[in-house]
Amino acid sequence: MPSSRFPIPQGTLDMLILQILSLEQAHGYAIAQRLEQVSKAVVQINQGSLYPALHRPEQKGWLTAEWKPSETGREAKFYCLTPSGRKQLKAEKESWARLTGAVQLVFDEGN
Amino acid sequence: MKPLLNWFRRGRLESDLDRELKYHLNRRVDDLIHSGLPETEAKRQATLEIGGITQVQEEVRDIWLTRWLREFAYDVRLSARSFRRSPSFTATAVLSFALGIGATTAIYSLVDQVILHALPVRDPQRLVLIDWKGEQVYGGFGSYNLMSYPLCRDLQRQERLFEGVLCRAAITINLSTGGDHKPAAAEIVSGTYFSVLGISPAIGRLLTSDDDQTPGTSPVIVLSHDFWKTQFAGAPDVVGRKVLVNRHPMTVIGVAAPAFRGIDVGQVPSLWIPAAMSGYALPIDPTSDRATRWMQVLGRLRPNVTLTQAQAGLQPWFKAMLEEDTRRAGFPKITAERRQRFLASTLELTPAPQGHSGLRRTLSQPLWVLFTATGVLLVLACLNVAGLFLARGSARDREISTRFALGASRGRIGRQLLADSILLALSGGTLGVLLAPLAIQTLIAFLPRNTAANALQSTVNPRLLLFALLVSVATGLLTGLAPALQTGRRAVISSLRERGGTAFGGLRLRRAIVTAQIAFTLILVIGAALFARTLTGLLVKGPGFVTSSLISFGIDPIKNGYSPSESNRLVRTIHDELRASRSTQISAIARIQLLTGGTWNNPMTIQASQRITTDREVHLNAISSEFFATLGARIVAGRDFDERDSRPAKDGGQRVAIVNEAFVKRYLGGQRPLGARIAPGSGPDVKPNVEIIGIVSNISYRGLREDWEQAYFPIGSDGFYEGANFYVRVQGTHEAAFQSIRTILRNADPTLSPTYFRTLDEQVNRALSTERMLATLSGSFGTLALLLSLVGLYGVMSFVVAQRTREIGIRVALGATGLSTLWLVLRDALVMITAGVAIALPCVWALGRLVESQLYDIKPTDPATIAVATVVLCSAALGAALVPARRASSMNPTEALRFE
Repeated sequence: MPSSRFPIPQGTLDMLILQILSLEQAHGYAIAQRLEQVSKAVVQINQGSLYPALHRPEQKGWLTAEWKPSETGREAKFYCLTPSGRKQLKAEKESWARLTGAVQLVFDEGN
Repeated sequence: MKPLLNWFRRGRLESDLDRELKYHLNRRVDDLIHSGLPETEAKRQATLEIGGITQVQEEVRDIWLTRWLREFAYDVRLSARSFRRSPSFTATAVLSFALGIGATTAIYSLVDQVILHALPVRDPQRLVLIDWKGEQVYGGFGSYNLMSYPLCRDLQRQERLFEGVLCRAAITINLSTGGDHKPAAAEIVSGTYFSVLGISPAIGRLLTSDDDQTPGTSPVIVLSHDFWKTQFAGAPDVVGRKVLVNRHPMTVIGVAAPAFRGIDVGQVPSLWIPAAMSGYALPIDPTSDRATRWMQVLGRLRPNVTLTQAQAGLQPWFKAMLEEDTRRAGFPKITAERRQRFLASTLELTPAPQGHSGLRRTLSQPLWVLFTATGVLLVLACLNVAGLFLARGSARDREISTRFALGASRGRIGRQLLADSILLALSGGTLGVLLAPLAIQTLIAFLPRNTAANALQSTVNPRLLLFALLVSVATGLLTGLAPALQTGRRAVISSLRERGGTAFGGLRLRRAIVTAQIAFTLILVIGAALFARTLTGLLVKGPGFVTSSLISFGIDPIKNGYSPSESNRLVRTIHDELRASRSTQISAIARIQLLTGGTWNNPMTIQASQRITTDREVHLNAISSEFFATLGARIVAGRDFDERDSRPAKDGGQRVAIVNEAFVKRYLGGQRPLGARIAPGSGPDVKPNVEIIGIVSNISYRGLREDWEQAYFPIGSDGFYEGANFYVRVQGTHEAAFQSIRTILRNADPTLSPTYFRTLDEQVNRALSTERMLATLSGSFGTLALLLSLVGLYGVMSFVVAQRTREIGIRVALGATGLSTLWLVLRDALVMITAGVAIALPCVWALGRLVESQLYDIKPTDPATIAVATVVLCSAALGAALVPARRASSMNPTEALRFE
C-alpha cells in the first residue's frame, strides 16, 4: 500500500459505513470496495478494522443484518440501516459539519 | 444486558463471523486473481490486507461481550480448570462455604419469617398496634397487649387518625364439619378485620361490619384457604354449608385469599368468627364488657397521619374516657394512688407491619442469638478457606509470577484470585441452599406443636435465594481479599528467584487468620457451654415433681355445649372412672395446665400479724385433693385438701388455700404461715377470709425457670369448672394407660376429644424447646468452629515447620535438644492461641448482654465456664500444633540439611 494515504481519523469509519448503508444495503466486501472508491484512494482503510466497525453499530441497533445471496450467487451478510441508525447518522453528520465549519473558520481567520 | 445475551448465543455469533470473513477473503482472492495475480500470491495478499483473522475475531468478540465480561469468563474458566486439578482443596473449600452459608441461610429464613416479614396485606407499613400503657385495673385472658372489645369500638370512631381499626383474639374451638368434633384454631375478629387488612376472598365473601352488629344474630364464619383445601378438599360449594362450632351451627360464607394466614405467624387460624358471635365460641361473651381485656387492637393509619401524630391525637379522647371509666358502675374500688396511676395511662402505638405474634416475642432473641452465631461461623469458614488459599497460593506463586513477568497487571491477577474465591463461594452457596430446607425443617421441629399450627415454611423463596446469593458473593469477596492483596505486594523478581516458590509475607497473614479463627471459635465454644449449662441446669432442677409415669390430658366440655353444672358432673364421672381404672395409681385435676407458659394470676391481700398486699401477682390454680400426691410434690406443713374443701361455701364448705414455700419465704417470713388468711385482690375492700391450711414444696407452674409464689384453691369451691386438666400417675406401660384413658373418655361422651394428651416428660421437653434449640445448635456450631480452627492451626504450623526445616536442622546439628526444638515450634503456636484468647474475651463480655436473658442460673461472664471453654480450646489447639512440632523435634539434622 502506498504510504501517501492518510490513516482514517478515529471514529469516522463508523460514520462512513452508516453513510454508505443509507443509500442501499450492502455486505462487508461491497462496503470495503465502495469505501475504496469514494475515498479516491486518499484515505487508507485497514480492511481488518472494517468488521469491528460493522459489528459495533449492529450491537447498538443502528444496523440490522441478514444472510442472502449476493451478486455472485454465494450467501453474504447484508447490512441495512435501521431508523435509529438513520437518526444517528443525521446527528453525526451535523456534528461533523459543525466541527469542520469551526476548523475552517479558524483557518480563514489566519488568512 | 446485551453482552449477557450474546454470551449465551456466542456459538452462533462465532460461526456467522467465520462465514462473513470467509466470504470477504474469497471475494478478494477472486478479484485479485481476476486482476492477474497467481492464486497463491492472491491468497497471501488478501490475508495480509485484512491483517490477521484472529485479531479481527478478538476485536469483534470484545464488542459482543464487552472486555470486562470476556475477561471474567476467562478467569472463571481458568479457576474451574485449576479447581478440577486439586479436588481435595476444592471439596474442603466448597464444604466449608456450604456449611457456613447453609446455616446462615437457614437461620435467616426463620428470622425473616418470624421477625422481619411483613404481612401479605395491603400496604402493611401503615399498620400499628394500639396498646394500653400504664396501670391496669381490669382482668382478662389471653396473652400480651390485651384490650377490651368496647375500647376497640371506641377506637374505630377515631376516623380522623385511622382509616380503620380491627381487633382480634386467637382461641381454640371445638369444630365439627360433619363427622368428628376436633379442636381447631380460630380467630375472633371485629367486622372490620378483613377490610382494614385489605384481604379479598378466594370464594364467597368475607366478614364485614354488618356481621358484627348485634350479638348472637350472625352465625357466620370465614374459612382459611389452607383449611378449606385440607378439610373440605377445596369443595367449590363450601359456601352455605353448616358447621358446628362448639356445637352451635354456623354457616360458611367464604374462604380468604390463599396467601393470608392471619396476623400471627405463630398461630394460624383455620377460621374466623365475628366478635358478635363470641358467645358461641367462648364460655362467656365478653364483647359488651369494658372490664375484660382479651383482644389485640391494630389500626391502619390515614395516609397523611404519622404514628406520632396519631398517638398524640388519641390522648385527649383517651383521658376523657378514663375519667368516664372511673365513674362507671362496677369500676373496681382502688386506692387513690392507684386511681391516679390509672388516670395517667396512655395509649401507645407501635408499628406492626408484621402483625402481632406471641411467637415473635418469645423467639426473637433466641433467633438473633443464633443468627449472630451463624454469622461468626460464616466468618470462620471464610477465614478457613482464606487460609487454604494462602497455602495454595504459595504453591501457585510461580504460575502467578510468570504471568506478572509476561505483563499481567496486578489488578488482573487480583481479579483472577477473586474469581477463584467467588466461584467457590457460589458453588458452596448453591450446595448450602440445597441443604437449607432440611436445616429449616430441623429448626422448625424444635418448636412445640399446638392446635394452632405456625405458618413457618421450609421452602426456599426468592427473598431467601437473594439473601443466599448476596451472602455467597460477600463471602467470596471477603475470602478472596486476603490472597488478592497478598499478590499486590509481591515483587516479581524476588518471587521468581525463590526456589521453593514460597513467600514469607503470606505467613504473617496466615498467622493473623489463625489467630482470628481461635478468637471466633472461643466465642462460639463459650456460647455453647453457656447454653449447655442452662439446659442441663434446668433439666437437673426439673419441675419439682416426678415426671416419669405421669400423664396429663385436658377436656373442655363447655366447648362441647355442656352447661357448667353438666360439665362438673362429667368431669367428676371421668375422674371417678379414672381412679377405678387398674392402670391408674393416683390421679388429680387442675384448672390450669402446668408448664405451658400461661398462668392464672392475681395480686393478693394477706392478713397475718398485719395486713399486706403482695408486691407482684401470685400464680393461682384450682386443684382437686391428692394433686400434690399425684405429682409427687411434698406437703411440708399442714395438710392437703380433702373432699369437704371442694364443697362450695354455701354448702358449708370452708374457704381454704395451700401456698408454696416461695410464697411463705417472700411474704410470711418469720411468721406462722398456717392459719394466716389471704384473698385474691389488692383493694381496700378485699376481705382476706381464706385460711392457709398447708404449705407445699415449690413446683414449676408457668415454666421451669422460675420458683414463683403460688397459691392453690380447692377446685369446685367456686362452683365452676372451666375445662379440666387431668394428671394421672399410671402403672404399667404408657400405651396401655393411654388406651384405657381413651376408653374412659369415649364411654363418657363419644364426641368429646381431649384438647391435648401427653406424658409430663414430653410436657417438660416442650417447655424447654427454646433452651434445647439454643443448646443443640450452639453446640454444633461450637464443634464445627473448633474443627475448622484446628485444621487451620495445624496447616499453618506444618507450613512453618516445613519453612524452618533448614534452620531447625542447623540448630539440632549445633546441639539443640528435642525438647528445645519442640518448644521453638510450640512457642509460635502459643503466641497465636494467646492472642486469639485475648481478642475473644472482651468480645464475650460485649456479646454477653445478647444472651443474658436466655440463660438460667448462670452469668454470661461466668468465670468457670469461660475457664473451662478456654482450657478445652487451648489444649485442643496445642494438640493440633504438637503434631508438626514433634515432627520438627524428631528431625534428623543430616536429612534436614539435605532437604534443600
